[in-house]
Amino acid sequence: MNRQIHRALALTAVVAGAMLAAGCGTAVPPASRQSTRAAPPTPSLDTSLVTAAGTWAVAVMGGSAARHNNFWQLFIRPGGSTRWKLVTPPGTADNGGLVLAAAGQSLITAFRPSQNLTFTPLTETRTAGQAWSALSPVGAAMASAPDALAMDPASGRLLAVLASGTVTQAAPGYSTWTTLTSRRFLAATPPGRHCGLQALTAASFTWSRTPLLGGTCARPGTAGIFADAHGTWQAAGPAIPAPLARQDITVLRLTRTAQQTVALLTAGSGSATSLVTAWSADNCAHWTLSPPFPLHGAALTSASFGADGTAAVVLTGDQGETITGPGQRWRKLPVLPPGTATLAAGPQGAISALAVHRTRLTIWQAFPGRATWTKAQSISVPIQFESSS
Amino acid sequence: MPGMNTGLNANDPAVIAAFKAVLLHQGLIALLIFGTLGLAWVSIRAWLPAAASDGPGTKTGTPAPAVAEPAWRLLLRTGFGILWLLDGILQAQPQMAIGLPSQVIEPTAVSSPPWVQHVVNWAGTSWSYHPLQAGAAAVWIQAGIGIWMHAAVRGPLSRLAGLASAAWGLVVWVFGESFGGIFAPGLTWLFGAPGAVLIYVVAGALIALPERAWRTRRLGWLTVAGFGVFLTGMAVLQAWPGRGFWQGTAHGQPGTLAGMTQSMAPTPQPHFLSAWVSAFTAFDQAHGFAVNLFAVVGLAVIGALFLSGQPRLIRPAVIAFTVLCLADWVLIEDIGAFGGLGTDPNSMIPMALLAAAGYLALTRAPAPAAEPASPAVPAGGWASRLRAAAAPRSLAAASIRSVAAAWAIGLIILGAAPMAAAQANPVADPILAQAIGGSSAPANYPAPPFSLTDQHGRNVTLASLHGKVALLTFLDDTCTTTCPLEAQEFRLAGQLLGTQARHVELVAINANPVDYQLGYIRAFDRQERLGGIPNWLYLTGSPAQLRPVWARYGVTAQILPAGSMIGHSEIAFVIDQNGHVRQEMNFDPGPGTAATQSSFAAELADAARQLLGRP
Repeated sequence: MNRQIHRALALTAVVAGAMLAAGCGTAVPPASRQSTRAAPPTPSLDTSLVTAAGTWAVAVMGGSAARHNNFWQLFIRPGGSTRWKLVTPPGTADNGGLVLAAAGQSLITAFRPSQNLTFTPLTETRTAGQAWSALSPVGAAMASAPDALAMDPASGRLLAVLASGTVTQAAPGYSTWTTLTSRRFLAATPPGRHCGLQALTAASFTWSRTPLLGGTCARPGTAGIFADAHGTWQAAGPAIPAPLARQDITVLRLTRTAQQTVALLTAGSGSATSLVTAWSADNCAHWTLSPPFPLHGAALTSASFGADGTAAVVLTGDQGETITGPGQRWRKLPVLPPGTATLAAGPQGAISALAVHRTRLTIWQAFPGRATWTKAQSISVPIQFESSS
Repeated sequence: MPGMNTGLNANDPAVIAAFKAVLLHQGLIALLIFGTLGLAWVSIRAWLPAAASDGPGTKTGTPAPAVAEPAWRLLLRTGFGILWLLDGILQAQPQMAIGLPSQVIEPTAVSSPPWVQHVVNWAGTSWSYHPLQAGAAAVWIQAGIGIWMHAAVRGPLSRLAGLASAAWGLVVWVFGESFGGIFAPGLTWLFGAPGAVLIYVVAGALIALPERAWRTRRLGWLTVAGFGVFLTGMAVLQAWPGRGFWQGTAHGQPGTLAGMTQSMAPTPQPHFLSAWVSAFTAFDQAHGFAVNLFAVVGLAVIGALFLSGQPRLIRPAVIAFTVLCLADWVLIEDIGAFGGLGTDPNSMIPMALLAAAGYLALTRAPAPAAEPASPAVPAGGWASRLRAAAAPRSLAAASIRSVAAAWAIGLIILGAAPMAAAQANPVADPILAQAIGGSSAPANYPAPPFSLTDQHGRNVTLASLHGKVALLTFLDDTCTTTCPLEAQEFRLAGQLLGTQARHVELVAINANPVDYQLGYIRAFDRQERLGGIPNWLYLTGSPAQLRPVWARYGVTAQILPAGSMIGHSEIAFVIDQNGHVRQEMNFDPGPGTAATQSSFAAELADAARQLLGRP
């Protein structure tokens, strides 16, 4: 019997050990993988832009943990007005996000697909959001980037960066979309190889109607901006100054304002990331760069541009920064109101902060030289919760 | 978990009525089999009295006992037979057909690793396709095993009953109990680890052992020692810090044990039971450390006594273990069958039964037989019994228990065969569609006319569909939720119709007054891979053309504000070859699992076949 007891005790020890291993083991996070390039920051679709019709802003509202209960809303402050109004285009679910492209009085809105939809509906307004008319859809999902859609004011031509990395284009009428290029194709061109192009993040046009694409380069110190010069892609990005030459560069935003082309770049990764704004007034032949603004571990949640090229960014921790143009320095804004989704250029140099709390949008204003935000307006949005479930 | 939740209420009256009807129908067949078998047995015994007087057992596979069935085996056989019968009765609860995947299987799997969830999800999805057949099968299989274990006392039939119990138990343990939760965190004996049905499996395996295994105490020792090892391990696990068992409350929240019992107390159950569970919860919240210490010491001491191998020590340990099991069963497991859709009385009763059987096997093993027991196989061998000429003689010589065992096997086949046949069908039972959308309303009125443009730019009118059956619905081409699923239901309905599909048009009319252009229709068709289907027509027009059509069919299409999609009716019309609406179906697939989609498709295809005349 003693032998039996010994065997039983040994068996007990083995089983107890196995059970402890199964039931009491401490969860250990998987070993971090070596990567040649940290994932670039993803710009949010919360943004604002200025057109001849007024200032537009996009913000996600609803505040639900369920993505299908968060709806993206479009607001406009018409030119000459101080009041914002809700002009979200009707009839199409926008839980996947709204992407804007504007030229003159025209604003085209793309509805990024969500849930069971896989293509991208488009709609256009020429009446500051009062009336909308549907355009033929883009046959695939558009990239989740605020500059994934661009319109050339002169020709009305549209460019769209798709989630697949393909870039499609359509002439006015927009009934037919054709492929312009793709990340894979562009990466194989000489400037693409030099950059080590990893992803396309933005599209725009120069003042000479040349399509521009922005992306992420694997080669440090290279800004991935490319121009389509009569069928040949050429590097069109700014030269990166020596202090940032060893940093990974990502083009977060690439757009055109009333006078110039503006790009927002990140340099570096992790807590060493800096923001740099670049302006070009001569079709990307020459660029002027802002001083780098170190994020110190904060994350960028929104970036927007004024008509004059002013850049305004929202950072985590209710921080906001602006820079008004070449030769200027980054200016810290007063602590942002809680829930600030995006900033918009206001009249007389003022900055508007659009703050979201579930179904309510509150617009705050800060005037130059003042250290506080003043509540200007509040809009209640009639979100139809569960309408997309 | 994908696939498990069809979105149906477990109390859905349509499903409950259908489940009851299936059970009643199969129950009548079971009675018929029983009556036929019984009648044949009585008649043949009267017809062949000589064979009958040979005495039961000598040629039936249930030989006369040379050694009486040991007490431990009798306890296991009858105890677990009763438990299987009870489980079968619990499986017949009306909510079980729909509720088992989402209310039983899914909650047990949710904290397990992904591979376990994957395995379990497969089974849950299979069940959700054919809930009536699966639900009924579980009833008859479990009731059949229970009756079989009671009826077959000895011999191969009895051993086979044990084997069937072990095999089915393994199926239930893996798919129904997610391996008893042994791969999930928070494993504890108090909550039923390692899963009740694993005990059924062990008991079944013991019953299946040959008679020579009964004659030594070794089996008893192994059983008791196995329990000792298990309980010792569980004591260590129970004592492990950081699992929330040592605290009655922590940061104002109940500890692990109190949290569990607190969630059980308000569930539907007799008041006295609820009061006991609540009282225990309060006690544990106040004295969490002491309660866990008692559990740890109790398990450790009982485990150690089991391992001692000394019957005089094991006896009080078995008694203490039984008391502990009963206390846990009432105060923590809430008698198993309460606190939700109960499928069995949980682990404590089977565990106490097995421990008691182990003790009996250790202390009351029968003396070795002087001569071998009667052969299990008759002199002529199984082959001779299978000969048609020998069958009446064998039946006449069979005992009433053997006839009952044969009937029990028939019950199991009665449940398993329709389920196996249903599982071979990839299309879900139409009852799901009827439960979600309600029974389709029969109608007979002229379909409202329309003149719209199809995806190819051609004009299509109602008159142009004359001579064909039309399945017609209204779809929003930029809908992100149900319309794509409904389009797939149409697509699958066309596939189910096979060659008959050439006499059927699958027609959708655009329900979006904003995105009404042909580009959207075509994008939707590409998205849903409908472009290559020859009888698919997606019709659109200007809002001025569409609105009157919607109105005539009673369909609303509402533009909602703030980024919502179009709100529109989800209804399908079945239009006959003469342009008359013959059925109206509510068409909303709810959460839209693959099961519900195929269920709607089956219902649509059936409706079209009725008008075409079945081939």
